[in-house]
Amino acid sequence: MKFTRYLGRYWQLYALLLLPITYFFIFRYGPMYGIQIAFKDFNFFQGINGSKWIGLEAFREVFGMKDFYKTLRNTLMLNFLDLLVSFPAPLILAIMLYELRSAWFRKLSQTILYIPHFISWVIIGGIVYQVFGTQSGMINNVITAMGFQEIPFLTDKNTWLITYLAVGVWQSAGWGTIIYLAALTGINKELFEAAEVDGATRMRRIWHITLPGIKPTIVTLLIINLGHMISIGFERPYIIGNTMVRDYSDVLSTFVYRIGLESGQYTLATVVGLFQAVVGLIFVLGANYASKKLAGEGIL
Amino acid sequence: MIRNRKKETRMKSVRLMLVMLLISSLLLAACSSKSEQKSTGASGKAGTSNQVVLSVEVFDRGNSPSGYTISDNYWTRWVQDNFGTPNNIKMKYVPVPRSEEVEKLNVLMASGGDVPDIVFTYDSSTFYRYAMQGGLTDLSGLVDEHAPNLKSFLGEDVLNYGKLEGKQYAIPAKRANIGKYSSFIRKDWLDKLSLPVPETTDELYTALKAFKEKDPGETGGKVIPLGMTIAPAQYEPLIWSFIKETTEEEKYTLTQQIGSRDYPVLLPGFKDALQFMNKLYNEKLMSIDFGLDKDKNKLVEDISTGKIGFFSEDDINIYYQDGSYETLQANVDGAELIAVDVYTNEKGEHPKPEYAPIGLYIMIPKSSERAVEALKYLDWMASGDVLFNMQNGIEGENYTLKDGIPLALENPSEEAKNRMYNAGDMTIITNGQQLGSPEKNREARALQFPPKYQDEVRAAMKVSNTDTIPPVLMDKPIEAQTKYGTTLLDKFHEFIVKTTTAKPEQFDTVFEGAMNDYMTSGGQAILDERIKVYNEMKAK
Repeated sequence: MKFTRYLGRYWQLYALLLLPITYFFIFRYGPMYGIQIAFKDFNFFQGINGSKWIGLEAFREVFGMKDFYKTLRNTLMLNFLDLLVSFPAPLILAIMLYELRSAWFRKLSQTILYIPHFISWVIIGGIVYQVFGTQSGMINNVITAMGFQEIPFLTDKNTWLITYLAVGVWQSAGWGTIIYLAALTGINKELFEAAEVDGATRMRRIWHITLPGIKPTIVTLLIINLGHMISIGFERPYIIGNTMVRDYSDVLSTFVYRIGLESGQYTLATVVGLFQAVVGLIFVLGANYASKKLAGEGIL
Repeated sequence: MIRNRKKETRMKSVRLMLVMLLISSLLLAACSSKSEQKSTGASGKAGTSNQVVLSVEVFDRGNSPSGYTISDNYWTRWVQDNFGTPNNIKMKYVPVPRSEEVEKLNVLMASGGDVPDIVFTYDSSTFYRYAMQGGLTDLSGLVDEHAPNLKSFLGEDVLNYGKLEGKQYAIPAKRANIGKYSSFIRKDWLDKLSLPVPETTDELYTALKAFKEKDPGETGGKVIPLGMTIAPAQYEPLIWSFIKETTEEEKYTLTQQIGSRDYPVLLPGFKDALQFMNKLYNEKLMSIDFGLDKDKNKLVEDISTGKIGFFSEDDINIYYQDGSYETLQANVDGAELIAVDVYTNEKGEHPKPEYAPIGLYIMIPKSSERAVEALKYLDWMASGDVLFNMQNGIEGENYTLKDGIPLALENPSEEAKNRMYNAGDMTIITNGQQLGSPEKNREARALQFPPKYQDEVRAAMKVSNTDTIPPVLMDKPIEAQTKYGTTLLDKFHEFIVKTTTAKPEQFDTVFEGAMNDYMTSGGQAILDERIKVYNEMKAK
């Protein structure tokens, strides 16, 4: 009785909720129906229901592939390096922008920093080849003109890693500042004034006011990032990578693309996808647990 | 009073909700009425004439001239008027990007209902996979019944390539020219250094060395004596020339077919080929970044700007209008490329692979209800002068006849030129001009090129047809090849790149490692299966 009265009073709110819930069911839970492909000998002419169950055979096959471990290792390695380099980059950038006093200059720099985010990876790939190529890249042209040995930015796997990370920072750091800048505006200005009166230097102010002020945001983003440790975007490694550095550039997403879309082995591709999802979940929960323990804050 | 206001706000929100509901229902109604209109339109038409829709895949190379699209252009309209309308068929063309034909086709096939009635691929593995999974219509009886012209046009040999376990699951297109590769060298550079035109691999090496040291093209140290990529046209002629004489059994068992090419990874001599590439690389005689160039973009650029001294390529590729040779001659005064046949094997021959006598595998998905119409379409294309018209356009506007061989006009009008942009992709039953004999086909091909290059095209085609190695045809498809093909092609390229770029003293170790990687990634499975199938073949 009480509940119906409650519903009667707030039904509009629930009606509003209906749309997002439908979205989640259709686009997030509905496709989970396809997970069963991982346990079937999927034949797309027979459809999911027409295909035979094969139990865990596909899992055995995937876990027996050498390439699977290689791509898994590369995925974790690239993501981990990205976390070291690309995660702090927007944070530092945001604090630097925040400290700028001239409003027009800040707005201008922000806009310039955002631009790479809107360029598609295909185009970035083209630019990268023009700039970093060994024989005709811009940078190497300068280096050889000065009489030094050219640097194989794209063709040696270790230098390639640096190229990969640098391009990642260039592309995403500017855009990543948005959330931090939003969080920064939430800090009480009086704190800064008080600190200034007390004679705190700029570094001290950043350390004791700015950073603690956006700590929850940092933690949240860190947890989200850790959750993505096992999944990696397709475009960046696929486009920046090449045959010469395949030892490092071959990751789970390109592996799935190759066995799934190119070779038509959807069962194996689904197994890898499912594996990624499960490990991703473990990472998120683990990171959240650790953050609760260590920092007293989590997102779940 | 308070209560009243509460009531008022509630009324307001209710009204708001009603308005929103109204808007959304209107939107929905608009959508549904639109689709209703469409369906009545279609059924109205069908009611009067019983017209059926035949959908056909078409490659989209993104080069449609303005006014045309890949699914609506001169030839699609011509087909509609000459084949569709008389037979009460509405033709519908479904574009698939050329560069990702297999991926897109996989998606189309998986979608079931939306797949075109006629699909095709160059990739034999994809064809085998579809056939083995039961996704294709068996055309054995249908061809005899509905496509007599097509059958006599293609012939038994070609049709056999589309058979699996006695069933005709695909109609292979017929290839007019089976020559693949020629090599080219900068004659003006040789003359400048007073070197003879090289005729063997050793002489070539000497020439490359001279190109590097003396830089006859004055490139400022940017000379690339040998242009290399990881596309087959550049590495295949080199590698195959190192392959030693093989027995019949070795040929069947040790060859690895990936996609539609035979790879000599396990054949004797493969290591020597890589050793030679390794030497060239470490002496800086070939493109440093060749491992990045899988679509030949860099190669074409370097040829056009006059940096490359020697390279292998598809026999006719450089001679197209505005192609790399014409651009080179515009960029560099006096630049001259000539077709040469240099890579030499132990017997003094110049071996290189040739094409199977087929082109696309044309398939009709099992879900299609228009198999008969589809065959009628292909049969119509093979009948009378349909194919000739579609390949050559309109006499007087696009071509003139010379001894029965069509000669493309040198300066066709813009309209006539635009008409032909997709002619090659529309005539799916053939690859190249079919005029009855290989010599005539070759001549016709040469005549399609700008007159100043025609003699050289003939010379290049002579090279590409010399000492060729035909593909090895097994009795039945090797399943492991279908399964591991894509992975192995990547592995193979990695193989070449790693061994080539290794330090000379590490070559052996790198070779072992790469070979091991290749074999465990599916190479061994292919080998085992080929041995099994070969033994079955012999037992018969």
